[in-house]
Amino acid sequence: MAQRIMESELSRDELLALKNKRTGVFIFQVSWILIFVCLIIVNLQIRANFTSWPPPGIEALDNVLPTIAVVGLIASGFLARRGLNAMRTGMVADFFPNWVFALVLGGVFLLIMAYEFLSVQMTGQYSMVFRVMTAFHAVHAFVIGVVMLQVYGNARKGLYDAARHWMVEAAAKMWYFVVVAWIMFYTVLYII
Amino acid sequence: MATVTAPLPVGVGHVEGKKFKLNELLRWSVDHKIIGIQYMMTAFFFFIVGGALAMMIRWELLTPAIDLMADGTSYNQLFSIHGTVMIFLWIVPMMAGFGNYLLPLMLGAKDMAFPWLNAFAFWLIPPAGILMLSGFFVGQAEAGWTSYPPLSTLFSGDGQTLWAMSIHLLGLSSILGGINFIVTIKNMRPQGMGYFQMPLFAWAILATSIIVVLATPFLAGGLTLLLLDRVAGTAFFNPAEGGDVLLWQNVFWFYSHPAVYIMILPAFGMLSEILSVHSRKPIFGYRAIALSSLAIALVGFTVWAHHMFTSLTPELRIPFMITSMIIAVPTGIKVFSWLATLFGGKIHLTSAMVFALGFLSMFVIGGISGVMLGSIPVDIHVHDTYFVVSHLHFVLYGGSVFGIFAGIYHWFPKITGRMLNERLGKWHFIFTYIGFFFTFFPQHVVGILGMPRRVAEYAPEFQGWNVLISVASFVMGMATFILLYNIVISLRNGKEAGANPWRALTLEWQTSSPPPAHNFIGDPVPFKNPYGYGTKAAWEYLHKQEEKLGESVDALNVDKPASSVPAGD
Repeated sequence: MAQRIMESELSRDELLALKNKRTGVFIFQVSWILIFVCLIIVNLQIRANFTSWPPPGIEALDNVLPTIAVVGLIASGFLARRGLNAMRTGMVADFFPNWVFALVLGGVFLLIMAYEFLSVQMTGQYSMVFRVMTAFHAVHAFVIGVVMLQVYGNARKGLYDAARHWMVEAAAKMWYFVVVAWIMFYTVLYII
Repeated sequence: MATVTAPLPVGVGHVEGKKFKLNELLRWSVDHKIIGIQYMMTAFFFFIVGGALAMMIRWELLTPAIDLMADGTSYNQLFSIHGTVMIFLWIVPMMAGFGNYLLPLMLGAKDMAFPWLNAFAFWLIPPAGILMLSGFFVGQAEAGWTSYPPLSTLFSGDGQTLWAMSIHLLGLSSILGGINFIVTIKNMRPQGMGYFQMPLFAWAILATSIIVVLATPFLAGGLTLLLLDRVAGTAFFNPAEGGDVLLWQNVFWFYSHPAVYIMILPAFGMLSEILSVHSRKPIFGYRAIALSSLAIALVGFTVWAHHMFTSLTPELRIPFMITSMIIAVPTGIKVFSWLATLFGGKIHLTSAMVFALGFLSMFVIGGISGVMLGSIPVDIHVHDTYFVVSHLHFVLYGGSVFGIFAGIYHWFPKITGRMLNERLGKWHFIFTYIGFFFTFFPQHVVGILGMPRRVAEYAPEFQGWNVLISVASFVMGMATFILLYNIVISLRNGKEAGANPWRALTLEWQTSSPPPAHNFIGDPVPFKNPYGYGTKAAWEYLHKQEEKLGESVDALNVDKPASSVPAGD
């Protein structure tokens, strides 16, 4: 509600542009997540060709560190949301700590996944599909993390306020995308 | 009853649309009209390229032995790039061009939702085309447009890598374009235009875009793995190392069967516009046509494995056969609705209309052979024969390309402000229609007789058929130059069209030809029923439009607002 009041300051054209951007990002997320779904299908079809998964003779990945990483990533998603809400309601000072912690947790997640990527036993399809999936996700996390960093810098310069903060909203929504995509991958790579 | 939803804005001076200059079309612009023309010109260039490759294929097949090509590999490269160029660089971008140019106009909008993104999506296409064709210098792709492994991963030259990168770029361009179309349709319709007051072309673009954003990511995923197999040492598609060749086929066809609808649905939309306008008849079954586009988009995702009947486990064949048959239902709804639209109408055999009628007749043949191929026993018999080639071309040439030609004749006056020469248009149609029919219909016969596709050498008993097919294809190919000649002379000397030469009711005709920079002077008011031809309300609407925008050519010689008031409402 508070956000709507703030946005009522915008002109008709600005409101339409904002509506377009929100719809566009939503459709983009729905579309892009399907590449992740495609890789999950690839994983499932490849493992269906083996009698067991991981294939005989290959050690399964330990899932303690990745579980810590996924918890951290989910927490970072919540923090990004809190930062966005702070910006929406005009409490810009509250935006910064939430956003910074989200970024730090995102960075920790990436470091853990880099370690996982490098430590997987390099033999055959198991490691190939694991590496492709984690690397594909990491590229997204890194790029969107850089955008969040830039948003942080812009916010420090005072470029956003309660009515005009589209980049904050877009970056947060893309970070949710990173979180959701990884929960899907984590389920396939470590749980089932 | 059709009514005008609000009075047309009065007292606003008519402003002439700006004429496009060639140098404007060669540089970055965020105007959807320029981008639309850029799409169309680029696509047409690649149509000529793909057509030239097709002519070489037919030249090679004049005799049963290899003579034009150096070897079978060269022939493989030829048909691989012919298919890829025609699909990804001709039909898909051409449809995007029509969508870009027409959609904001039809919705009464100033531009697309994301003009910059729109331009970016277009400018991905020229480098993608260059990548694709530069494969000829490094060992061109030779695994067909379907690029099946292991041919595409273990045996093809470096051109196959360029092929995959090129398709990646084209896929990204499609996704960005699809997002733009959906957002434009959802958010930028004018007041008084609900979804069921939209022109059917807009419905077709909406259904197409839904397919694009949901199917193309699967192609992107598959292409990424293909590239990794080729350049990074992975083996996702290599059974010798635990990979799976069927993995590619599943992913590829999960995109590429819906992609057939990406190529045909916009043509369906154009046909709905053209048949109604040129027969002066309200479209029959508006809602059925609109919703059948969405049904096609939905069911299109459930039929992909019919391309793999011969490699599919038997228990999976029946479900995919059933879904393949089901998809004929919404398509049939459209065809019967179009026929009912024509029934009792005042049919004007303009060039646009004859191509639209040509579409109807040829597409129905392609649809029927499609149902035959959807039937497992027939499919297994004619698998990988010329029957499949024939079916594909009846749908994509007899359907999509005839639709594109009809669209060019219909909207050329809006885009350029000048009419195309009707006499040349008819010659173009006659040669195209006859050439097309005798190129592709006999392929059903040679296919059933067992002539395999994708081979440069064939059994001597098929030579008579192949000579007929090749000669007809040369006629069809040459006919395209009649259109090109027509475009060139009409741009210079064509009759001034005026705003609405067809007396059409959709919003793109409620502005000057070509439209001004932001499309409309003031906010345009849509007519409540965009197909309400033959009604008093429509007459009044067109009359007011002419007062506002000035007199147009009366190309159909009918319904001239200033003459007499038609009875009825």
